[in-house]
Amino acid sequence: MRDPYSVLGVSQNASDDEVKKAYRELARKYHPDNYQNNPLADLAEEKMKEINEAYEAITKQRSGGGYQQQSSGGYGGYTQQRSYSAGSPTYARVRTLINGGDLAGAERLLYEVPQKDGEWYFLSGSIAYRKGWLDEAMQNYTRAVQMDPNNMEYRQALAVMQQRGGGYRPYGYNNTVDGMDCCTTMLCLNCLCGGGHC
Amino acid sequence: MFGYVRPLRQELKCRDFDLYRATYCGLCRCLRRRYGPLAPMFLNFDFIFLTLLLWDPEDEFVPCRGRCHANPLVKKPMCPDSPALELAADESVILTWWKLRDSARDDGVVGGLPARVLAAGLYPAYRKAAERRPDFDGVVRACLEELSHLEEACCPSLDRAADAFARLLRGAAPSGDGRSRVLSQLLYHLGRWIYLADARDDLEEDRRAGRYNPVSARYGTQGDDEALKATMDQSLDLMGAALQLGEFGCRTPVLENIIYLGLPLVQRAVFDGSWAQIKKQKIWSNRQ
Repeated sequence: MRDPYSVLGVSQNASDDEVKKAYRELARKYHPDNYQNNPLADLAEEKMKEINEAYEAITKQRSGGGYQQQSSGGYGGYTQQRSYSAGSPTYARVRTLINGGDLAGAERLLYEVPQKDGEWYFLSGSIAYRKGWLDEAMQNYTRAVQMDPNNMEYRQALAVMQQRGGGYRPYGYNNTVDGMDCCTTMLCLNCLCGGGHC
Repeated sequence: MFGYVRPLRQELKCRDFDLYRATYCGLCRCLRRRYGPLAPMFLNFDFIFLTLLLWDPEDEFVPCRGRCHANPLVKKPMCPDSPALELAADESVILTWWKLRDSARDDGVVGGLPARVLAAGLYPAYRKAAERRPDFDGVVRACLEELSHLEEACCPSLDRAADAFARLLRGAAPSGDGRSRVLSQLLYHLGRWIYLADARDDLEEDRRAGRYNPVSARYGTQGDDEALKATMDQSLDLMGAALQLGEFGCRTPVLENIIYLGLPLVQRAVFDGSWAQIKKQKIWSNRQ
C-alpha cells in the first residue's frame, strides 16, 4: 500500500485537523454520487477506497495502534449494485451486461424485446448514457418516466441528467458561468486567450 | 480543428499562464522542427489543450529558452521537446490535413480552392505524420468517412453524428497506457462538444446554403438552444468528472480553467453569436 500520507497529500507532521480536512476534500471529490452511471465510476470507487484506507491507517497509527476504528467518519458503504426490481429475466441480463460494460451485447438483447415499456426505455437510456449519447439518453429517460411516473429509479436517472453542476468542482470553480452577471461575462469573453502566433 | 478550446486568462494564475504559453511556443517549435515552416501556421488552441492532456503527469514544468521563429530577435520560454509534445505535433498535422481536405470538399470547386492549395502544401508533412502514427491516421480517415456518409444521409440523430467526430478525437489518446481510459472519455466528450458547438455556429450559414446541419436535423431549422445547451453542458460535466479522476500533475489547474471556465464561455458566445468576433482576437498581452 502507498504511504497513507501521500495518498491524502499531506505531510507526516500534519495536524489531525489538516489530515481530516484533506480527507474530507478528497472524499468530496471521489464521492460516488458524482459518478453515477459514469463509465469511469469504478475508478472513483477505487480512489475512494484508497483514501478511506489511508485515513483509517493514519487515525489508527495516531491513536496508538490498538484502537479499532469503527467508523472513520468516512464515506463508504456505497455499492454500485442495487437491488433492482427487474421486470423480466431479459432485463436482468441486460442490466448485468451494462454493468459489465458490454454495451453492444446489452443493446442487441434489448432490441429483441417485443414490447417497449418503461423499463425498456430506462435501460435503453442507460446504454445511451454509457456510450456518451446524452441526447438520446435524455429522450429515453424522459419517456421511461412518462410511462411509469412512480418509478423512483427512472426519476432519479432523469434528475441526475438534468441537475447541472451537481458533480464535484474544486474550490474556485463553484460559480458556473450562469451565475455571473452580464458585465462580468462580457469582460470574461474579452479575456479568452486570443489567436495568433507567439 | 476549430480553436474553441481556450482558457479564461483572467482566472489563470501567472505560473499557469506561463505554462500555457510555453506549451504553445513549445508546440510551435516542435511542429517546425518536425514538419518545416508551414506546419506551425496551423497551430491553434485546441492542439495546446491536447498537448497539456497528453503530457506525462510526473513531468514538472521546466521551460527552456528558445528563439521564436515569428520574431527571431527575442527568446521565449518554451516547453522542451518531449514524447507528448511530439505525439501532439504529429496528431495536429494529421487533424489539420484532414480538416483541410474536408473543407476543400465541402466548399465546392471555387470556394474550396484555398483549402485545396493549403492541403497540397501540407501534404508532405501529413505523409510523414501518418507514417509515424498510422493508427491515429486510420481512425481519423474512417471516422470522417463515416461522418460524411451520415451527413449525406441527413442523419436525424444528433448523437450519432456527434459520435463519429467524438470517436475521431478519442483516437488521439494513446492506447494501453494506464491513463488511456480517462483520456479516452475526456477526449470523446471534447469531440462531441466541439462538433455540437461547430454545428450550432454554422446553423445560420448552413440554413442559407441549404446544407445538412445536425442541430437543425434534430431540432428544426430554428434550433433549440435550451435543449442543445443542456446536452452540451452534460458533456462538459463528464469531461470535468474525467479530469478529476485522472492524473495531470502541474497541468491540472490550467486544464480545470479550460474545462470549467473557458469552454462554458465559448459555448455561450457561440449561442449568442458573439463568437465570430471573439475567435479573431489576437492578444497575448493584457491589452483588450
